[in-house]
Amino acid sequence: MGKGKVAFKGDGIIIFQEVSHAIQAEKLIRKHGYEVKLISPPPELRMGCDLALEINLVESHGIERILKEDNTAFVSLNPLMKGTADLCEIVKTTDYGQWVMVKAGNMKITFDKNSGLVVNVSGGGCPDIPYLHAEMVDKRLDEAPKPKELGYTLCAVMLDLAFQESLRLWNGGNN
Amino acid sequence: MLLLAGTIPDKNMPLTFGEVSLQNGSLVADGQQFNRFQGTGAMISAALATIKYLQLEPAKVLVVGDIGDGQGSRELYRYLIDNIAELSPEVFVMHYCLPIMTLMRQLCQAVRESDKKPIMVADAGAMYAAKGANLSSEFDIMTPDPSEIAFLADPKATHPAYIAEHLFECDASKIPEQIDAAFRNGSAAKLLLVKGKTDYIASGGNILATVNEPDVPMIEAIGGTGDTITGLVSGLVYSGMEPKEAAVVAAKTNRVAGELAKVTPATKVAELVDKFQSVFEKHLCQWSEVCCR
Repeated sequence: MGKGKVAFKGDGIIIFQEVSHAIQAEKLIRKHGYEVKLISPPPELRMGCDLALEINLVESHGIERILKEDNTAFVSLNPLMKGTADLCEIVKTTDYGQWVMVKAGNMKITFDKNSGLVVNVSGGGCPDIPYLHAEMVDKRLDEAPKPKELGYTLCAVMLDLAFQESLRLWNGGNN
Repeated sequence: MLLLAGTIPDKNMPLTFGEVSLQNGSLVADGQQFNRFQGTGAMISAALATIKYLQLEPAKVLVVGDIGDGQGSRELYRYLIDNIAELSPEVFVMHYCLPIMTLMRQLCQAVRESDKKPIMVADAGAMYAAKGANLSSEFDIMTPDPSEIAFLADPKATHPAYIAEHLFECDASKIPEQIDAAFRNGSAAKLLLVKGKTDYIASGGNILATVNEPDVPMIEAIGGTGDTITGLVSGLVYSGMEPKEAAVVAAKTNRVAGELAKVTPATKVAELVDKFQSVFEKHLCQWSEVCCR
């Protein structure tokens, strides 16, 4: 058996109100180098239209940003597999005395309680996390880049949850 | 050959293949310099420390810049798909990259078609891709942390961001159950090294060993300390150590290095890696017969 090309199979789905929006979005997403496939949405996700886009769920944050920048309307972006849980939004904290570690999903951010300096970013497995680590560490929480603005992946989305909670805690527990 | 593959957080770094060395605090391969902070760089530096101490043949790396948009990751997968058979590594480690299931399927197919199957190690994005593509069992070793073992235990999740909340909320006492679930649903490699307050080494659903001393809780906050375990276990397996023993030694080495470095949550991972030589000199011959120098 040779090295046959395996057809793209994603795990995320973008639902559109209009077929034309799905076609336009497919071209746009592909132009940015992402893999994407036009599909018929499963019955439970049908919104009255017949076309949706299958994507790599981990890339949803970057793709969502491209669609918004282009003003391409879409209805929702979800995991494709029926029964998949919602985005895990539980945040946990660990007090290390001078420092606090805030954990969201697979991502952790640790900051100095007094100075607000980010001292470490850990966890995750997507390529934007080492990049965010380099960009955020040794910066004060209110001066550090927001993971959601700089990152592309679901790991960055989770890190942003931890970051927002860190900011809230550093501001005395207020939003 | 020990082949260490992954992305580097520098968008200008081209796809680079070559022997890796540490020069003036940075990693260098084929003239390209890259850092040894969190991620693939931390994993490589830990593997490098191990093979240097054991005087093994130098490791080769395949690295490429990627800051999250996946362009570099795609190049990495495609190079491996086209060349893994010819490279024919004895140990192949796949680390930080965008988890792209389609490309992971092609890569595993290319490995299956190779004359010689390497010992395969996955962590980070490569582990996510393998699990999402139902290919975990093609890997010999995976090194998840507690949130990642919850991800492996959740049959529906294709990324740790979507694990069921009841699995994420579990305390550490539930990790053995999650290990069992990961093996039952086919989401585990042949051997799991679960990094945490207690490190679990498991195979076939059975806990083979645990490591919880010395207890250095602040290690968890330091970015890259999970990556160093992956590098350690890879280097040790490359030395000929059995995967179970390599996992136990890797877990102990990381902990003792953390203790020696007197880590705080503000410690940088390179300080931990710099202690590995001392740990090996003092303990490796007590822990394993593979300790010649």
